[in-house]
Amino acid sequence: MISVEEYVTLLRDELALPVTEDDLGRSLDTVDAWDSVHLLTLCTLLERQTGRPLPFARVLEAPSLAAVYALATAS
Amino acid sequence: MSDLPPAAEWPSVRGLLAELPDDALPRAGRFLARLDPAEVLAAHPATPLVSLYVTGHGTLAALRPALTVELARHGLLAAITLADFDAWVRDLADPGSDLYATLGKADGPAFALAVLGPEIVAAELPLPWRADDAARVLDAKIELIEKLAGTFAATANGATLVLNTLPLPRELTAQLLDRRDRAALGAAWREANARLLRLDRPEVAVVDLDPLLAEGVCARDPRQSVYAKAHLTDDLLAAYAREAAHLARQAAGAAKKVLVLDLDETVWGGVLGEVGPEGVEVAEGYRGEAFTRFQRVVRQLGSQGVLVAAVSKNDPGPVAGVLRDHPGMTLRDGDFVQVRANWRPKHDNLAELAADLNLGADSFVFADDSPFERGLVRRELPGVAVVDLTDEPALHVAALLRDGWFDVPRLTSEDLARPARYREEDARRGFLESFDSLDGYLAELGTEVRLAPAAPAQLDRVSQLTLRTNQFNLTTRRLSPAEVRDLAGDPDARVLAIASADRFGEHGLVGAVLLRRDGGVLRVENFLLSCRVFARGIEQAVLGAVLEHARRSAAREVRAAYRRTAKNGRVAGFYPEAGFATVHADEAGAEFRHDLTRPPEPVPHIRLSADFGGQQP
Repeated sequence: MISVEEYVTLLRDELALPVTEDDLGRSLDTVDAWDSVHLLTLCTLLERQTGRPLPFARVLEAPSLAAVYALATAS
Repeated sequence: MSDLPPAAEWPSVRGLLAELPDDALPRAGRFLARLDPAEVLAAHPATPLVSLYVTGHGTLAALRPALTVELARHGLLAAITLADFDAWVRDLADPGSDLYATLGKADGPAFALAVLGPEIVAAELPLPWRADDAARVLDAKIELIEKLAGTFAATANGATLVLNTLPLPRELTAQLLDRRDRAALGAAWREANARLLRLDRPEVAVVDLDPLLAEGVCARDPRQSVYAKAHLTDDLLAAYAREAAHLARQAAGAAKKVLVLDLDETVWGGVLGEVGPEGVEVAEGYRGEAFTRFQRVVRQLGSQGVLVAAVSKNDPGPVAGVLRDHPGMTLRDGDFVQVRANWRPKHDNLAELAADLNLGADSFVFADDSPFERGLVRRELPGVAVVDLTDEPALHVAALLRDGWFDVPRLTSEDLARPARYREEDARRGFLESFDSLDGYLAELGTEVRLAPAAPAQLDRVSQLTLRTNQFNLTTRRLSPAEVRDLAGDPDARVLAIASADRFGEHGLVGAVLLRRDGGVLRVENFLLSCRVFARGIEQAVLGAVLEHARRSAAREVRAAYRRTAKNGRVAGFYPEAGFATVHADEAGAEFRHDLTRPPEPVPHIRLSADFGGQQP
């Protein structure tokens, strides 16, 4: 599991994205400094941190960072 | 690095990265990739810039942070252009493509990285398929790549095309059930990779991915490949970026020349001062064998022109004893250009060694197992590359070879002879100390200089001089082997090689003069001399011969330029001291002319023979 705070820390410190919790619900293309390649790196980092596989195909369709978080924490 | 560093702090980035473990580099790369190279250049105009045009098969965006951080580890600023998705064939085949336009505009070393993965073959297999089908696709792909390399060589003047071997995924081999057919696929695949590796063009470098994969880097993540068309993993791209950065470092002229080794726990196990010569671990026992393995690799590097020196906190007597008499040693005193065993700080020893060898300390690689000594050298001599050895000697070899510090595009006969030459230089210095004045020494030295058009076999060495010479390099214009070859074939230009010898031996090819004839003007485009031989009158004698040649061949004047760098300040006055008038001068450099009315000053202690290869230029 990963908490929302840890998720935001990962986005900021590992992915170098200048985001806060308020940005999680934004559409990805409006997130500052966002690039589609970030999604691939985010998948790798999340799998490493949570120790569980992500449904890649669905992550790639995720509209927001919050949606990615939901997929990473879905039971 | 936990925050975006401001562009103004770029000069500190290299030092920060040197302290980071490998697994922290991707993260640092993501931060650095957000820096705008233009802002860094605005704050620090002298930052060496390398242009990289990334093209290839599939999604390669992960290369941007990876290349940024790997080049930054060597102090290089990466200007990266990512091509359109999957445009590599068009990019390389069309001389009017964005790739060639971008490389053509590059100021400084420029690379096209064509990153290819197994999918360029897999995507074209019929269904069903057999090994024969794969062999046919592989043949066609390699032929295409060979043709594209030809176009690149003819179009991208001076730039380098970086290709890579194709990893062979088990997902392909395991689809063939017949054992012989599966083996045939493996053989055909390796033959294709071998053809790539044999692409022998000065404009092409092939990164062999096999050794990286053998270290345990995973080549593919099927999900990333299927869903995101990222056919090679971030880990493999990071390892690839490290190799590409080594190529960039070579092209930027930042080659390392000297390997300085600590002794206790680096070259042998144990502390000599405590355990005595009989107690050091070498050749025998588990740890002894590990140190011998390291010594063999050091000797192997030394045989290819790396100057090896030792700096150790020890008494000199016992160290000399071990190097001379210990039966288990692979490295002997003759393998070192200098052994400094004393109790003074290591950075002082390194600085003196640099002065003795007439090299900059930034051409040094320093390997030590002590974090204290490494930290002190890093702080006092930031240009020195420091190799982190641990208390596990079995890992010494991997640590030493990790960054390809001494890699060169082509090893020349000069490289092979270099260590012996520097040892002769030590003898020469002893000889110097027996004279009251430098003039008396030079007169007794009996220096002979030959100036002649560079023979085809010498052109690689001339390129290497332009890449590696930093101090006596009047313009520091780096030239690839291909560019030197073009210049040698240009009827208006001349590539002259300077060779010298003295009573202590042959120096070989030590310098080059690049001339261009433009009507009545003879232009010295660059003048380079190895730091081993300058300040002995060779440079004045050669310039005198050039002026004499200009006068005899009815030139109106000789023009020459100086372009200032951080390293070549000591030659700023070279042309004015030889009677040239300054046409204009500013902070970036100066332009000079010699009207040929006064003859050059003779240099009586040099015997010079000059051949300019006919009337032109």
